[in-house]
Amino acid sequence: MIRIEKRIQPLRYQGIFAATSAVVIAFVVGCAIFAGLGVNPLTAYAAMGKGVFSSADAFSEVLVKATPLIFTGLAVATAAVMMLWNIGAEGQLVWGGICAAGAALFLFPQTQPWLLIPLVLTASALGGMVWALIPALLKAKLRVNEILTTLLLNYVAIIYMEHLFYGPWRDPAGFGFPGTAQIPEAAQLLRFAGTRISLGFPLALLCAVMLYYLLYKSVWGYQVRVIGKELRAARYAGFNVTGKILAVMALSGAFAGMAGMVEVCGIHYRLQTGLAVGYGYDGIIVAWLAGLNPLVVPFTAILLGALFVGGEQLQSVLGLPSTISLILEGALLFGLFTGQTLVRYTVTISGRSKEVS
Amino acid sequence: MADPVISLSKVTKRFGPVWANREVDLDLFPGRVHALLGENGAGKSTLMSILAGRYSADGGTMMMHGREVSFNSPAKALDHGIGMVYQRFMLIESMTVSENLALSAGKAHGRTGIDQVIHQTAERYGLGVDPEKRVFELSMGERQRVEIIKLLMLDAEVLIFDEPTSVLTPPEVDALFEVIDQLRAEGKTIVLITHKLEEVLKLADDISIMRKGRLVFSERIDARQMSRQQLARLMVGRDVVLRVDKKEVAVGETILALQGVSGDSPLGGPSYTDVTLEIKQGEIFSIIGVAGNGQVGLVSAITGLSQARSGTITFDGATYNAREWRMASREKIAYVPEDRYHSGSIGAMSIADNFALTRLAAYRSGMAGMVLDREKMAADGTRAIRDHNIKVESSEDSAGSLSGGNLQKVILARELTRNAKLFVAEQPTQGLDISATEEIWRALLECREKAAVLLVTGDLKEVLSLSDRIGVIFNGRILEIIDAHDSDQVDRVGLLMAGVRT
Repeated sequence: MIRIEKRIQPLRYQGIFAATSAVVIAFVVGCAIFAGLGVNPLTAYAAMGKGVFSSADAFSEVLVKATPLIFTGLAVATAAVMMLWNIGAEGQLVWGGICAAGAALFLFPQTQPWLLIPLVLTASALGGMVWALIPALLKAKLRVNEILTTLLLNYVAIIYMEHLFYGPWRDPAGFGFPGTAQIPEAAQLLRFAGTRISLGFPLALLCAVMLYYLLYKSVWGYQVRVIGKELRAARYAGFNVTGKILAVMALSGAFAGMAGMVEVCGIHYRLQTGLAVGYGYDGIIVAWLAGLNPLVVPFTAILLGALFVGGEQLQSVLGLPSTISLILEGALLFGLFTGQTLVRYTVTISGRSKEVS
Repeated sequence: MADPVISLSKVTKRFGPVWANREVDLDLFPGRVHALLGENGAGKSTLMSILAGRYSADGGTMMMHGREVSFNSPAKALDHGIGMVYQRFMLIESMTVSENLALSAGKAHGRTGIDQVIHQTAERYGLGVDPEKRVFELSMGERQRVEIIKLLMLDAEVLIFDEPTSVLTPPEVDALFEVIDQLRAEGKTIVLITHKLEEVLKLADDISIMRKGRLVFSERIDARQMSRQQLARLMVGRDVVLRVDKKEVAVGETILALQGVSGDSPLGGPSYTDVTLEIKQGEIFSIIGVAGNGQVGLVSAITGLSQARSGTITFDGATYNAREWRMASREKIAYVPEDRYHSGSIGAMSIADNFALTRLAAYRSGMAGMVLDREKMAADGTRAIRDHNIKVESSEDSAGSLSGGNLQKVILARELTRNAKLFVAEQPTQGLDISATEEIWRALLECREKAAVLLVTGDLKEVLSLSDRIGVIFNGRILEIIDAHDSDQVDRVGLLMAGVRT
């Protein structure tokens, strides 16, 4: 007989406990998978580690992967602080990419070069914002579950993007490859010393710090946190809950939109397949692993980035499928929620009910 | 006299620091209706949930037909013939009646035979309900019937009803009472958890009264011989009136006046009708009533959490209609809500954060008031802890780590700091120990020197100790407003609470 009972007081250091259990469970799951594939788990983990830390070049790729993850992590965290589930960071990222590419391609000759990047960034943030406001309005006005609407709108965004680069926006000089023309140099983000790390990375860090200040040092952020933690107390205090749902989702969408911008303007230099590779969904893990703390998000984004880079290494060195990193990612989330449950509940295994005659 | 079917002895249950049940002894007999009375939070539902296997007791024993039993799940209790009809029905709304019943009783009757059994059971007890309908299509009364049928199909011997009439219309109440009468005649053991005295007088054979987790009264009496007044006294516990030092305070101008205010409770609870009253600067005006008589809805209309249907409200000289008042009320009223854990505070946030909840304007600084002045919050929090003798290490500790009394002091301190002209306190000492209660009483008495105070409570002792005037609410109406200094009149409060006007 398994009995699950709520703890009267949650465990202390819940965030650390949950994050640790996530890492431990993912590690154990990984061991089982490697062993199942006939590879010594230690060899496999060593290969992953080596792939990440062997050279500055290798590690720079981790930061490249972490850049959009920080943005999508912040997007998910912003909404989740108010107990809203933004599963749509992927679609908002895509819209951010569409708007960034569109602005870069079509505003270019008429605009001052120095003004182009700020305009492109703003366009991408607005694109993500508008896409996030659709589910936000449905949630605030009609109480439509935002998990479903944000998720489903992802597919709409991706298909529309494909329509653009297969159709009207396709590069006429592209030898038939699906994708837009390359964006002008003035719209490309500066890269650091021979790596693919762009200005997007420091921009992401700046956004993390800004979100932290907004949530923890502003009156608005205080209200958002109260709404997320105790809706009835927020109503009692007279906070405008509907307005906050819209504002928080808009901000969340803006962060995801900027993820699309740094991908388009920092990596691909055009709109093409490969923009929607799941960073929006990965943001969920980044955010929750960070305990929704914006200042921790960059670190968990780097952790996940390392997992991806290490996964690629598994393929090239050991001939294992790189998708193992996706399994490890899933195990991280699973372990995190296990840890979060154990923080709040006790599980006891006892014998049959007592019956004395 | 038959032997008891169920015999509880020294049953104890704690939720953290709170004793929900403390060494409760209770016997239940076949063929009798046992009324279990008490205020909100007295521990009635917890005790019965232990009997029905939903909670497990921390101490004490349960005997059934002379054998010790303990249940680790409601299903186990049902196997022994003990079932409970909860206030919130345990039905799957998207499934049909027959599917719901098959879920619990299907094992005993088989999926195919079940419709016939439903039909027979319904026929026998007059519990008409269409087995093919989905539960969300049913009225509350019909849903309750499904719950009762569920227990009867499992041959329950002990049926516990948790405030069964709170969701029913009057004709449904009559129908339920007929069913209960029939069950009694068949020798079933019935427990009726309630705080409605009428029901007790109409149905009960035995009465037990709980207060603060303990059984304070339990007798095998013919309840119908008792007067409402006796019952009301027993339930509210009038004997111990503490005398508090009450300074004379000059009564000033009218701060709040309600004129014919009617409306419904926000969550579909009982409504309030045509309420007219005035609260003046320098007085404590109390609204007292047995729980479920419309006071929750009335307070939420006064504090602006919900909107009254009709009537006018005058505050400090300005008159508002119901809708205008809802918009205007927030800033004007300090309010200590009944639910101190989920409305009055945020357990996961610090005391300093909680201390700012309704006073954010005081902490706006920088950048057009968008920046939260954390230093001032911490300083104010620390000062409040010191001034109000709140037992905690620092203002950064979470509110959830406080005891009920200390948490209430944080909320009280916050609302006092707002210096509002009207101070509303709703069940402010419910569940608190004596020393915390006295501190809160002292604070309320002090508060009336600067403001008008509205106290809403079910605790007669509290009302008699603090009030200047008392409005008794029954069935959504203020039956009478009594001057608390007139001792002849005050004796009638208990009676009025039971709805008796003499």
